[in-house]
Amino acid sequence: MRVYVVDNGGQWTHREWRVLKYLGAETKIVANDTQVSELDGLDGLVLSGGAPRVGVDPGKMGRNGEYLDSFDAPILGICAGHQFMAKHLGGDAAPAKVPEFGKSIVEVHQPDVLFEGLPNRFEVWESHNDEVTQLPRDFIALASSENCDIQAMRHRDRPLFGLQFHPEVEHTQFGADIFRNFLKLCESSK
Amino acid sequence: MMFDATAFIAEQTEAIRKSVPGKAIIACSGGVDSTAAAVLASRALGDRLLAVYIDTGLMRKGETEDVAQTLKELSVRHRIVHAADEFFPALRGIVDPEKKRSVIGRKFIELFEREAKTFGADHLVQGTIAPDWIESGGQLRDRIKTHHNVGGLPENMKLKLVEPLRDLYKDEVRAVARALGVRVSERQPFPGPGLAVRVVGEVTPDRVALVRGASAIVEEEIQAAAGRGLMPLPWQYFAVLLPVQTVGVHGDLRVYGQTVAVRAVDSIDGMTAVYSKIPHEVLDRISIRITNEVGGINRVVYDVSNKPPATVEWE
Repeated sequence: MRVYVVDNGGQWTHREWRVLKYLGAETKIVANDTQVSELDGLDGLVLSGGAPRVGVDPGKMGRNGEYLDSFDAPILGICAGHQFMAKHLGGDAAPAKVPEFGKSIVEVHQPDVLFEGLPNRFEVWESHNDEVTQLPRDFIALASSENCDIQAMRHRDRPLFGLQFHPEVEHTQFGADIFRNFLKLCESSK
Repeated sequence: MMFDATAFIAEQTEAIRKSVPGKAIIACSGGVDSTAAAVLASRALGDRLLAVYIDTGLMRKGETEDVAQTLKELSVRHRIVHAADEFFPALRGIVDPEKKRSVIGRKFIELFEREAKTFGADHLVQGTIAPDWIESGGQLRDRIKTHHNVGGLPENMKLKLVEPLRDLYKDEVRAVARALGVRVSERQPFPGPGLAVRVVGEVTPDRVALVRGASAIVEEEIQAAAGRGLMPLPWQYFAVLLPVQTVGVHGDLRVYGQTVAVRAVDSIDGMTAVYSKIPHEVLDRISIRITNEVGGINRVVYDVSNKPPATVEWE
């Protein structure tokens, strides 16, 4: 299975690559201005987190928008990738009232394949100044934390997922399980 | 699929052999990364490789002797360069952490280029690992800190760079080191700029001596406690000298002394970390020993921050 990581400049982009690699996916980190045609035939895409503020600065998000518009296989947006997904598809992202750094607890309200086999409450690691403030049309919120209402979201029909927290870091509980579930989704959408 | 150290070693030995037709030097600090890279490169190049260790004067207690011994045991051709008298003057008056890192990085390269010239090498092997270049930033990525082996390199450097461990994380490098028979495979990470980034404020020989003494105690006590099963051995554990003086009382006399912070964190790859839950009896021993054995320190505090929001090192 081929799932690539689009690099938006996050500190943990390389961790996403590593987790996917450990789970047996064929993976590669690609620049976020890579032509859509070069991603043809991939089974999934991860839009990485970014350097500060890039999620709300479309100028720095390269071709992320084109990927979201034209890609059929599942896409997982993380942090800046998640914020950009919301903004690009008609929702909004803006500075968080309470930015979160480090340990936090998320609660899953809406069961979803992405969280299959996981408890409803678990510990995650955060690192964000901005957050999704308004869901795009046809998106539903899946999870929240004390200071952030939209910790996870998905499109009703298309395989588009966004996570505010970072499943790729070692200290997030069940992080690898979330990636495993995402890979299963990629497999079943083939 | 787990990481396959044996396959990695075979692949990289071959790759190094291909990319270095002549001679190379390797910058070796004695840590896990550069020692593993030195053994890899030495397998590939034999006597065409010279490992260069620079004693910057910013090393921990007993470190230089220990590194020399390790390289000898591993039969890696090496040279120890004593250069404390070049580093301290370069650091005089500097308090900004990024400036410290870049001054030290430049000094390192200057010395390595000198050594390479003498040895006739045109390649520089480095034990750079993934977090080093990730945190050093570049293009989109924000700079968290300049790792001297990445951000400190001059653009016009004549030596060609070889970085066999570039895509690995610490836990993977440890697996490689174990497979190569490197004794220091489980050693805690130690920053390239050494104790200079564990002295907040100006770096002077006296202040480095203070933090060296305090760090040795932190290491001894935590290793002893872990050995007795009181706590797991943390990912990293050390002392930081703060630029703060506070009031104390010693034998009915007012003193105005230095403050040391003890830092210990648990992590697997250094990219995220939680502060270690050290038992109070161990903290107590550390505090009593530091304030009694290291002259000039009258206060010890424990750092209870995770990464993020903090980083492991203070600078």
